[in-house]
Amino acid sequence: MAATRRLHKELEDIKKSGLKSFRDIQVDEQNILTWHGLIVPENAPYNKGAFRIEINFPAEYPFKPPKIAFKTKIYHPNIDEKGQVCLPIISAENWKPATKTDQVIQALVALVNDPEPEHPLRADLAEEYSKDKKKFMKNAEEFTKKNSEKRPSD
Amino acid sequence: MSRLQVRKVRRNQTIWPTVMFTKTDHQFLDEITGKPEVKTSLNIPSNSSEFTLPVYIKAAGGKTFLIQMSRDWDVARIKMFIAPKLGLKVEDISIILAGKSLADNLLLEECDLGHNSILNAVKLKVVKKDDAIPTNEKKSGGTPFHQDKPLCETLLDLQLTEEEQKLLHKSLGCSSPEYKQKKAHFYVYCESPCKSVQNGKLRVRCSLCKAGAFTVDRDPCCWDDVLRPEQVSGTCQMEGCDHSWAEFYFKCARHPSQGEMDSTLPLYLVKSNFKHVQCLACMDISDPVLVFQCSSSHVICLECFQQYCLSRLNERRFVFSPNIGYTLPCPAGCENSLIDGTQHFKILGGEQYQRLLHFGAEEYVLSVGGVLCPQPGCGMGLLADPSCRRIQCTGGCEFVFCRDCLQGYHIDECQPNGDGNFQSMLTSTEYVVDPRRAAQAMWDADSRVTIRVTSKPCPKCRTPTERDGGCMHMICTRQQCGFHWCWVCQTEWTRECMGSHWFG
Repeated sequence: MAATRRLHKELEDIKKSGLKSFRDIQVDEQNILTWHGLIVPENAPYNKGAFRIEINFPAEYPFKPPKIAFKTKIYHPNIDEKGQVCLPIISAENWKPATKTDQVIQALVALVNDPEPEHPLRADLAEEYSKDKKKFMKNAEEFTKKNSEKRPSD
Repeated sequence: MSRLQVRKVRRNQTIWPTVMFTKTDHQFLDEITGKPEVKTSLNIPSNSSEFTLPVYIKAAGGKTFLIQMSRDWDVARIKMFIAPKLGLKVEDISIILAGKSLADNLLLEECDLGHNSILNAVKLKVVKKDDAIPTNEKKSGGTPFHQDKPLCETLLDLQLTEEEQKLLHKSLGCSSPEYKQKKAHFYVYCESPCKSVQNGKLRVRCSLCKAGAFTVDRDPCCWDDVLRPEQVSGTCQMEGCDHSWAEFYFKCARHPSQGEMDSTLPLYLVKSNFKHVQCLACMDISDPVLVFQCSSSHVICLECFQQYCLSRLNERRFVFSPNIGYTLPCPAGCENSLIDGTQHFKILGGEQYQRLLHFGAEEYVLSVGGVLCPQPGCGMGLLADPSCRRIQCTGGCEFVFCRDCLQGYHIDECQPNGDGNFQSMLTSTEYVVDPRRAAQAMWDADSRVTIRVTSKPCPKCRTPTERDGGCMHMICTRQQCGFHWCWVCQTEWTRECMGSHWFG
């Protein structure tokens, strides 16, 4: 199966490249189509914690895009309470089979670091982010400290 | 003894006078009639010269002989062998293969002959048209004419640009066996009996009388020369035919030739991957590969190509192009990259290719304002008067239905929930059926319920649409529709939808 072969290769490459912002990649040997990993953002207020995500690849990968879900709660205008995230690079209409997972992850990390309030998933947070950045930062930092995972020490 | 076999013997049940059957001849009869020995004969390594090769010789008068040749024979030897059978002088005979009269010193194994290949043996006509058609050396743009080489030799280079040929020569060296093996091939999809992508052999015939005894004036120098009619001129060597246009066709190189009609369309996008380009999808380096017609010439391996086509076919996302038909672009999303030879989709295999043709026909019917008969198992395409709501499945199941709601035809307004007849029957006082029993006795109730529960119709074209996650912004999957709509409002997608319930 093309999906399996490609994902094995991508996984190997990603592990080898040693991304600082995406760590602790775990894949069940029996099911290469589901990946787990830890997003470690650099920018405030999310640099106080780390966030677990799950990447699900369809059987038709790479002709259909993967889906990403946050498993850790996050206070972010582009990520909803259920962990759904709107990432243009993996939307059905923009998806290209040549796009690699590390590009997808980098796009995701960039979105976490720099929210895009103009395309919100949570209108309330987007409004707060745009109108009262200080309040947003305070709330987001508190939320992160309370809900997020521990950052890796190295 | 004679090892000749007349091909027509088998077909017409008459005996050609000069034929004497030997034991070997009978074995060959078995082989050509498809008995199990065929398999063993196919296992003979093609590069081995210690084995003989059965080849048909087709003479000018239409007589056809099967002769056993040794692979190390040259063309002069063949001529000597067949001259007495044809009643011609050796020097008068020309052996024609794929548009070329073969030179005497050419070895058989240098030609791309397979089991039961056909060589034409004729007395060459005197060419009297030097004034009319420029000779090849003079003709600009054409490759120089090599009389001594079979067409396949000079034509394989068609696959590559000049630069690529140089690269290949440089990296492997012209004479190395690896070069010969790696050399570009033509590829075909052999529908029968191989049912797979195979190396192809290029052949030439007269475009009028279809005789293989045809010599070309020049080598074709591009795919257009081969694929389009009346590009390359030549001389038909058949008595009574003065036609001068060559017609190129392809045969599967794997299975023994099943006669002159055993031809197939070339897969001109499939190429030998001598540059070791990785597949855009699985990133493996495979050979052969399919090269898209986009400006980047993206490469995909055949397995991923199948998967790509299948995933698009299942979503009905093939693209309808008026000039090409139902096709696909490069999966990288390049501009102007539609595959313009739909025979490439035969790589999907017979069953899926039939499905593709079926879907293509349905899309066409819908695109020209037609309707598909809604009766389960029918689906007949109907081009009915657009002003008329009553449609009869003429020539199909004869079902009479309403164009708007696709239920049995009715004079009153359409029922909103799509099963009006059933509803009215339940509420009718004249004939009362237990509703629970009736619910269990509906012919296609399950699928109707599934569709109604899990899907919503596109507000524009009514295609039942399932939402399997993601946001509320729907884009109709039907190629001709592509309407942007909102899953919540079931109307056109607006900025307001985005603001209030983009993600539910």
